[in-house]
Amino acid sequence: MIWQQALMSVLGFGAGILVSAGVFTVLLAVGLVPRFAGRTNTGNKIFLYEEMIVLGTLAGDFLSVFPKYGQIGAWVRQQLLLGAHTVTVWKWIAGLAVSLFGLFAGIFVGCLALAIAEMLDSIPILTRRIGFRHGLGFLVLGLALGKLLGSLIYFAFHLYETGL
Amino acid sequence: MPKETLYLKLERCVQIPSCDVYLKDLGKLYCRDGALLARIRSRKVYTLKEEDGGRKVISVMYLIAMLQAEFPQLEVQTIGETEAVVKRVRVDRYPGALQALKICFVSGICFFGASFTIMTFHNDIGIVRVFGQIYEMITGRGSDGVTALEISYSIGLALGIIVFFNHIGGRRITKDPTPIEVEMRVYENDVNQALAETADREGKALDVDG
Repeated sequence: MIWQQALMSVLGFGAGILVSAGVFTVLLAVGLVPRFAGRTNTGNKIFLYEEMIVLGTLAGDFLSVFPKYGQIGAWVRQQLLLGAHTVTVWKWIAGLAVSLFGLFAGIFVGCLALAIAEMLDSIPILTRRIGFRHGLGFLVLGLALGKLLGSLIYFAFHLYETGL
Repeated sequence: MPKETLYLKLERCVQIPSCDVYLKDLGKLYCRDGALLARIRSRKVYTLKEEDGGRKVISVMYLIAMLQAEFPQLEVQTIGETEAVVKRVRVDRYPGALQALKICFVSGICFFGASFTIMTFHNDIGIVRVFGQIYEMITGRGSDGVTALEISYSIGLALGIIVFFNHIGGRRITKDPTPIEVEMRVYENDVNQALAETADREGKALDVDG
């Protein structure tokens, strides 16, 4: 039915545009990328970073909206792309890729979480209320260790099952 | 000798390659008397020391006091910032490798971070199920997971972010600065403001007493 396809196209298109606006406004409002660029003194490469965000989003979109076509591992194993030892070789490549993904995504989420907390000025307000002058380093270290511990507990004790 | 006027426009953030800070580094200067201007421009203001950590805040008051002491006839008009944050940037002998590594690192965070964000978002809202339900409502048949909905959604998402970031494949769509470029300037201003105020509060800025 042509009108059904047309209706769905309009629906999907509008949803896509609005989702991109919403998700990226949040990312930008907390100002993560300027911070990374400022810290590494690579302010002249902002263009590249923006492109990376665009490409990353498209890749993530593809993998999660069309999960059927994102089965790279199964495809490589089936086609035996890497010769006779495909399964072993691919195990290492996939392990490396997955660790890289986890590490970078973790850094991103960690920065995002603290940047959002900072936007609400929660840390300056807290330190002012309790008259806290020195040892901001310990506070930050405590936050980081707490996040690490929380994350490990979440995965180790299957806390994610409570959200299903 | 008639009074000469020096116009001084201090800059907020100054980057210098060596330890010596000259007046001409700190901003733009103008004076009708060219010879005097040249002498003032090449006047050394400060030498960065070990304990400064490669960074020093210099107040315009200090410059005025210094110039008045040296040239009593000179009147100084300041029209820029009240403090300049001087930062020493080391010129690396091998800037390539480390720089490239840093760029790769930040690019990696941006790429994987953005893809992770969008995937968790889709997971949160259960996008596959939502699209399946809408498909069924409209067509009355079950969805096979790849329909006009998903395809047009992906196109919309791509278009949305490209329009939002205002460039694709290294080419700008309009002449405006991109949102992150704007954010970068805001962030730089905030950092320099904070540096100037902290130095002022701790008495580490180069300023007149009292």
